[in-house]
Amino acid sequence: MVEDDPKDVELSLVALEEYNLANEVIVARDGEEALDYLYCRGAFQNRSADNPAVMLLDLKLPKVDGLEVLKQIKSDEKLRMIPVVVLTSSKEEKDMVASYKLGVNAYVVKPVDFHEFVNAIRELGAFWAVINEPPP
Amino acid sequence: MVHQVFPSPRLLSAIQRYGLALLSVSVALGAAIFLESLEFRDVEVPLFLFAVAVAAWYGGSGAAGLALILSCMSFDYFFVKPIHTLYVTASDLPYFAVFAAFASLVTWFSTVRRRVEQELRQARDKLQIEVLERSQQASLLNLTHDTIFVRDMNDVITYWNRGAQELYGWTPEETLGKRANELLRTIFPAPIDEIRGELLRSGRWDGELEKTKADGTRVAVASRWSLRRDEHGRPAAILETNNDITERKRREEEIQLLNQQLARQSAELAGTNKELEAFAYSVSHDLRAPLRHMAGYTELLHKRLSSALDEKGHRYMAMILESAKRMGNLIDDLLAFSRIGRAETQKSVVSLEHLVKEALAEVREESDGRDIVWKIGTLPNFYGDRSMLRLALVNLLSNAVKFTRTRPRAEIEVGCTGETRDEVVLFVKDNGVGFDMKYVNKLFGVFQRLHQSDTFEGTGIGLATVQRIVHRHGGRVWAESIIDGGATFYIAAPKPNDI
Repeated sequence: MVEDDPKDVELSLVALEEYNLANEVIVARDGEEALDYLYCRGAFQNRSADNPAVMLLDLKLPKVDGLEVLKQIKSDEKLRMIPVVVLTSSKEEKDMVASYKLGVNAYVVKPVDFHEFVNAIRELGAFWAVINEPPP
Repeated sequence: MVHQVFPSPRLLSAIQRYGLALLSVSVALGAAIFLESLEFRDVEVPLFLFAVAVAAWYGGSGAAGLALILSCMSFDYFFVKPIHTLYVTASDLPYFAVFAAFASLVTWFSTVRRRVEQELRQARDKLQIEVLERSQQASLLNLTHDTIFVRDMNDVITYWNRGAQELYGWTPEETLGKRANELLRTIFPAPIDEIRGELLRSGRWDGELEKTKADGTRVAVASRWSLRRDEHGRPAAILETNNDITERKRREEEIQLLNQQLARQSAELAGTNKELEAFAYSVSHDLRAPLRHMAGYTELLHKRLSSALDEKGHRYMAMILESAKRMGNLIDDLLAFSRIGRAETQKSVVSLEHLVKEALAEVREESDGRDIVWKIGTLPNFYGDRSMLRLALVNLLSNAVKFTRTRPRAEIEVGCTGETRDEVVLFVKDNGVGFDMKYVNKLFGVFQRLHQSDTFEGTGIGLATVQRIVHRHGGRVWAESIIDGGATFYIAAPKPNDI
């Protein structure tokens, strides 16, 4: 999960906990950290080289923004198979179009209502981590 | 022959001419005999010569010939010995020959003189005609509204038409003989030598000049010069036509100024729009996140304290959540509203019938379990942005559904009325609670609500959105209502010329 807002992180993790998925979530706080993780560099140079099953990506991020991260993932031969779900506050059509053009796998606007938010996160987690078969 | 050579009204008929010859010789003869009787000597020859000359002058060469023969015979008969016979001695022959030659000479001179006179007369007539034509041309030039004047190669004005008088204020008498560019204080756009060079090369020049009128005001003219050459091909005069373009230039300058202003304003507007877009973007991002957090943490708190909370506590929590949700809706509506102002309209021919069906499907959810009678009339095509028009319709229909909620049986009518040649008018009519016409001017304002929110929920943006959409289509929107007697909303949009 790439998310700079700790409250959003906490709320998302709460939602995922209900499916017992929270433990498996690795949180990157900005775009640079997300890329470091994917390329196993910086703080993540010692991690095992597996790709995540799914990446939940916020668009408005410090340093490197979400669209830039998405662009790098989708243009990298090794990373492009990682399913990326954009999870954002904004319903900006501009962002949506840009994301789909870059090859995003899903685009989800975070609902204000907590129940809806929990449902959305839960379903996303369930779908991508449980139902969906991740790429080899 | 004589007629052809001397076609003159003074020309006599043949009889008159020969009669004249006879008469003049007779008069000369009579005079000679009379003078001889008075002892004057040798007067007969000049008298006969005079008679021949008179015959030649007024009767032509034929009459002159007859006069000559008659003179010779009279002279021979009356004055040459032997008198009273026509007998001519050999010694008199040279005398006759000299007389005949002299008479012929007089005749010839007279003929030549006549011809010259005739030619002169013809030339004069031709000149008169030409003068007439010229003055007609000049008066034609006077008829035109264009300013036309002619100046010679020394810049001296030789012709000045009425248009010139009207434009510059000087009469022809005041200008003829004056130097044009001194009088008019002409300001040239290029060195005068260059202009003259072009005129001499190509025979014409045109450009914009600045001149001064008689009253001292400056005037901008579009000036065209044509060079007139004499029969030897030498430059002789310049015909100059002027058109007053002061007003046009002023307007051009005004337009330019306005264009600059417009460009500046649209740059400003583009900047503002960009700012607005950035603002909307950050609203949609940054305002929603704290709301979500408020709602999320309240929910978590609620879960944690659920058992410890009393009824009031539960209600407070519920209020916090409801408010958060309401604010979320407000932000969404406001963003949609601002997007309508910023988005480009993509216009096409739209079937209102389809659009109303789609809008109905969208409001169906709100009308579930209600008894609503829908009356949809025949609807024309509309020219506009499909998605925007759809949003406007959804808003109107949703309002109609909302404000008929208190009715056991709601009636909502969608139709077309008062279609004119260049306008389509659509209306949505309901039998709902209506509103007080006193507040009709508030109806379409953003965040303006005419009902308390616990009776009819809403953000107060729906009708503002409708109005903005209609305005973006160059149309009008208005409403009529009676309190508790239903409301009718009208949308009038211009028809495009090509459908």
